[in-house]
Parts: sequence; structure tokens; C-alpha cells
Amino acid sequence: MIEIFVNDQSLHVNEGVLLIEALIQNRIDIPYFCYHEALGMDGNCRMCMVGIEGQKRPQIACDTIVKAGMRVHTTGERIEDVRRRILELELVNHPVDCPICDQAGECKLQDFYMDYGLYDSAVSKGEKVHGAKHVDLGANVMLDQERCVLCARCTRFTCNITKTHELGIIGRGDHARISTMPGRKLSNPYAMNVVDLCPVGALTSKDFRFAQRVWFLSSTPSVCHSCAKGCNIFIDHNAPKYQKERIYRFRPRRNDAVNGHFICDAGRLSYKSLNDHRLTCNNPDAMDRAKALIQAAHNIALLVDANLYCEQLDALVAFAQRIGAQLYCPNQCYYDEGFGDEWLRRPWRAANLAHINTLGITQSTPSEAHDLIISFNHPDLSSLTCKHKIAFSTHEGVEADVVLALRSWAEEAGTLINITA
Amino acid sequence: MKIRVVQRHGTALKDRLYLPAIWQGLKITATHLLKNVGDIKSVDVLEYPEEQPSDITNRYRGLHRLTHREDGSVRCVACYMCATACPAGCIFIEAAERTDGVDEKMPSRFAIDTLECVFCGYCVEACPCDAIRMDTGIFSLIGSRREDFVLEKEQLLAHKGAFDE
Ligand code: SF4
Ligand code: SF4
Ligand code: SF4
Ligand code: SF4
Ligand code: FES
Repeated sequence: MIEIFVNDQSLHVNEGVLLIEALIQNRIDIPYFCYHEALGMDGNCRMCMVGIEGQKRPQIACDTIVKAGMRVHTTGERIEDVRRRILELELVNHPVDCPICDQAGECKLQDFYMDYGLYDSAVSKGEKVHGAKHVDLGANVMLDQERCVLCARCTRFTCNITKTHELGIIGRGDHARISTMPGRKLSNPYAMNVVDLCPVGALTSKDFRFAQRVWFLSSTPSVCHSCAKGCNIFIDHNAPKYQKERIYRFRPRRNDAVNGHFICDAGRLSYKSLNDHRLTCNNPDAMDRAKALIQAAHNIALLVDANLYCEQLDALVAFAQRIGAQLYCPNQCYYDEGFGDEWLRRPWRAANLAHINTLGITQSTPSEAHDLIISFNHPDLSSLTCKHKIAFSTHEGVEADVVLALRSWAEEAGTLINITA
Repeated sequence: MKIRVVQRHGTALKDRLYLPAIWQGLKITATHLLKNVGDIKSVDVLEYPEEQPSDITNRYRGLHRLTHREDGSVRCVACYMCATACPAGCIFIEAAERTDGVDEKMPSRFAIDTLECVFCGYCVEACPCDAIRMDTGIFSLIGSRREDFVLEKEQLLAHKGAFDE
């Protein structure tokens, strides 16, 4: 630990860290485009200028290693003037079309302009260099070349992280722009992360395109249920006036122990199944009919979904004991060999298989001897034959003697145990 | 979110009592009352609806209209600024991709529930494209069902401005 002084305030930071990291960790306002905690520094945007005592000119905080006793200024007339001019340069060819841009409301250009800009533009719209708007890059990513600030976050993601090298910067000066190789598309299972990485509206999601303005959305922290990895996410949802609550998108939530800053595209798009074809109400006599079936049965199998929370599974274990049922969680339907990879994706496509293992629940299909199967949202109920079936289900289209509605995982709170190996 | 603390106005005893201000207001009301009762003939009366108002100026906030571009197409880009500013939450927009090359985004639905609208004009102020105006001079809308008062995009586009630009 060493001591540095930022705006005369003393900070204790680890030796060898970048000044920008120290500022971000200590929540000191510092504008930046190209630096990213997962991608490291690049030093191309020049937005992170700070004044350092003993240095003649302002320095970029992302390429400065902290030194003991260093005295740094992030405010003051001189540094603010430098920032304003750099921002003006970033915006020289920017079309300023916030009204039709999906990034509006969570855009770094907007934030910095309000915080540090507020200058009158010296360039008229007619003088700006134009680029292609709405280019479909593939993998649900839309590019607007005019809005790009050339921070190279997206290209560094495809070069250093996915190592798929689809994106590059071509041309020079005013004509520099993001593009894919001729005839090639952006295509990798993590491609949509570039939408979150892009600090401006140059890369937007085709899936979320024009669906909602972001300031109407509320974010709830949650965990992806599309595989056993359990990536941390934000669920962005909203109930427009006179309409039902809907989920509009999933975004990655930083958790360095699990997924870092990213999620896979399959997980990101899995929100759709939570909106549509939902079972929302029960027949008034459903509960009574279910009770009668349970009382009449002699040999009950209780089928549980491996996506249920630990608390729900524990309660179902107690319920099975009470009614004398045997617990099953047939697991073959969750296995998808091709889905697994070296990074985040796991071949087991259920969120809580670890707890099913801990509870010692049988993971094969129930024997033919049962005369009643009660399923708690197990996806494979239809392939099983039995005299009677009771299905608790989140979605429509389940065949059973009695079907009862269940809340989806996004509507419940609970604990999950992931499989990281 | 940033919070700005605004100083409260009028901290003198006279302001905090409120009574002097109330008395001043009542005085104006009473003066008018006495004046009108004294000379009932001088009170302006409009025999509506036989007689129509003739004093609607271009600042009057009538029913809304959606404006057109020079090429006759819809000006609105479905940015939701008006819907965001609207204190009544009565503007319903659904955005769609615009394919005619004029722009990128347009409303596939744009409706105003005029029964909920409070005619504050905030939507007009908020619009960055001059796409919505309240200069139609229309002050009455007649319908027999609630739905009749929800003006859809086509109706709003058909309304004409009543004044010179
Ligand atoms: S597209 Fe976005 S992330 Fe990529 S260089 Fe441009 S601004 Fe940066
Ligand atoms: S890797 Fe698994 S848990 Fe993570 S986002 Fe993808 S499907 Fe969800
Ligand atoms: S006039 Fe006011 S209340 Fe009516 S639609 Fe516009 S913003 Fe909403
Ligand atoms: S009327 Fe104006 S403010 Fe409202 S959505 Fe259209 S362009 Fe935006
Ligand atoms: S963040 Fe330092 S130059 Fe871009």
C-alpha cells in the first residue's frame, strides 16, 4: 500500500496499479472511453487527462502507474478546459442523433457532455464526415459508424478475449471506422458483449433495437439460468402503462469469481422465454382435484426441475416425505455437449444441478411402477407415461390431469449453487 | 442522480404567516365581485355554442397534431421525449424501423388519450424535432365512447395547424 493525494485527499492504493484504477475504485469522477477494467488500457481516447504535480502537461490517468506521494488533480480550470477540448474533438463528426439512438440515457458522450462539455459546436451538421448508419454486423449487433469514438474496446474484445478477430478499424483520420473483414460477419457465442462494452451508441443490440427507452427500465440483480455456470446478470424490466410487466433484456453484472464482466449470447437472449406463453392462472377447482389425486394415489413420483432454487428444492424434499413420494430429477434433458466451451458456457443447461446432487435426488427417469407423477416444472414431463399427472408449470402447453401455475425464476428470490468446473 | 438543493423563498415572518398573502388575494376577488354586482351589464358573456370564441390566438393550446416533413412524411422519430415529459402519462408510442431512407426510426403507433391529457403543452416543449404541436385551435372533441378520445397517429397527422407558422 502506498499513499497518493487526489485533489488533496489522501488515498491508500496498491502499489503498481494504474492511476485510473485507483480513481475508479475510490469513486472519484474521471471521464474515460477506451479504458475498461476487463480490457485494460489503450490510451487512445485521451479523455482521462489529469494534472500531476511536477509534470508540465496533463497526463492520461490510464497510462500512469501510481507512485508514492504522487499529487493528482482531477478538477480545476486547466484540466476541465483540456477535457472540454478533447470531448469536442471526439464529437467533431458525431451526428448527435440521440433522439433515434438506443444508447441515449446510458451514453458516455451524453454524460460527459453534460458534466464537462456544454460548449457550442464549431462544426455545422453539413460539414461533418458521414459514415454508414445501421450496418448489420451479424450476431444481433448493429453498427452506426458515425457515432463511434474509435475507443477500440470492441476490437480489443474480439482480439484479446474471444480471439475471433472479426472487428477492426479501417481507414485513417476522419475516415477511420469500425468494420468486419469483407465477406465476414461478427460471429462468436459472446459477440453481443461488444454492445455493453461500446461506451456510445455505435454498437447497439438488434434484439433490443427501439424496444424501449432505457430510462423506463428498472434493473433487478439476478443470475442466468441457461446453464450451470450461473453468470450474474441484471434483469431490465418494465410494465408500460396498461400492459403487463415484461423483461426487455439481460445485461451482465460484474462478478469476478464467476463471469467477470461478460455473459454469453444464448444466456443474454434467454429472457424471451420468460415473457411469452406463460401460464398465469389456475382453474378454480385445480387445487381440489390435485388433492384428490394425491390422496387416491399409492405410489407417487415427485419430479423436480434443476432450475428451482435451493429453498424450493428443500421444501419439496419435505413435501415428498409428507406425502410419501419418491424424488426424481431426470437429467439427460439438461445435457447439451455442444454448448460447453472453455470460457463461460457449461454443457449442463440448468442452474442448480449442484444442489440436486447435494440432496441426493435420483437423476434417472422414474420407474413404471408409479401411478402418479407430480412435476414441478420439469421440462421432460411429456416424454414420461403414467396413469395420472399433476403439473406445476410456469408455461402453457403442458399435458396433465391437473395443471397449476408456477412463478418463474425471475419472479422469485432464492439461492443457486453453480458448477464452475 | 444529482440533487440540487433550492433555497426556500420568503423567510420573513410576514411570508411565513401566509395571512397577508391570503388577504391580498381575497381583496382582489372582493373588488371584482363588488364591481360586477354594481354593473352587471359590463360582464362579458359568450353565448356558446351559437356564438364561437373569436379570441383564440396562436399561443392557445388546442388539440395536438403531428407535423409533416417537407416531403409529406411523418416528422416524429419516436424518441419518447414527449411521453417522458408528459405528466399524465397519456402518450402511447410504439417505435419501428423506418425503411424509406428518410431516417431510421418512426412511430408505428402514436396515440394520445385526450381524456387523461391535462393540456399542459410539455410534449410540445420536449420534442426535439418540432413534430408535435398544439396549434390546431381545436378546443372541443366529441365522442360517445372513451375510445373515441384516444387520438391515433392518423388522426393526429390529419389535424391542420390553425395559424401561420
Ligand atoms: S464501435 Fe463502440 S466500442 Fe467500438 S471503437 Fe467505436 S465507440 Fe469504441
Ligand atoms: S455461460 Fe451459462 S450462465 Fe453464463 S450467460 Fe451463458 S448460459 Fe447463462
Ligand atoms: S399536453 Fe401535457 S398532458 Fe397532454 S399529452 Fe402533452 S404533455 Fe401530456
Ligand atoms: S412527437 Fe417529438 S418528442 Fe414525441 S416521440 Fe415524436 S419526435 Fe419524439
Ligand atoms: S481512458 Fe485513458 S486514454 Fe482513453
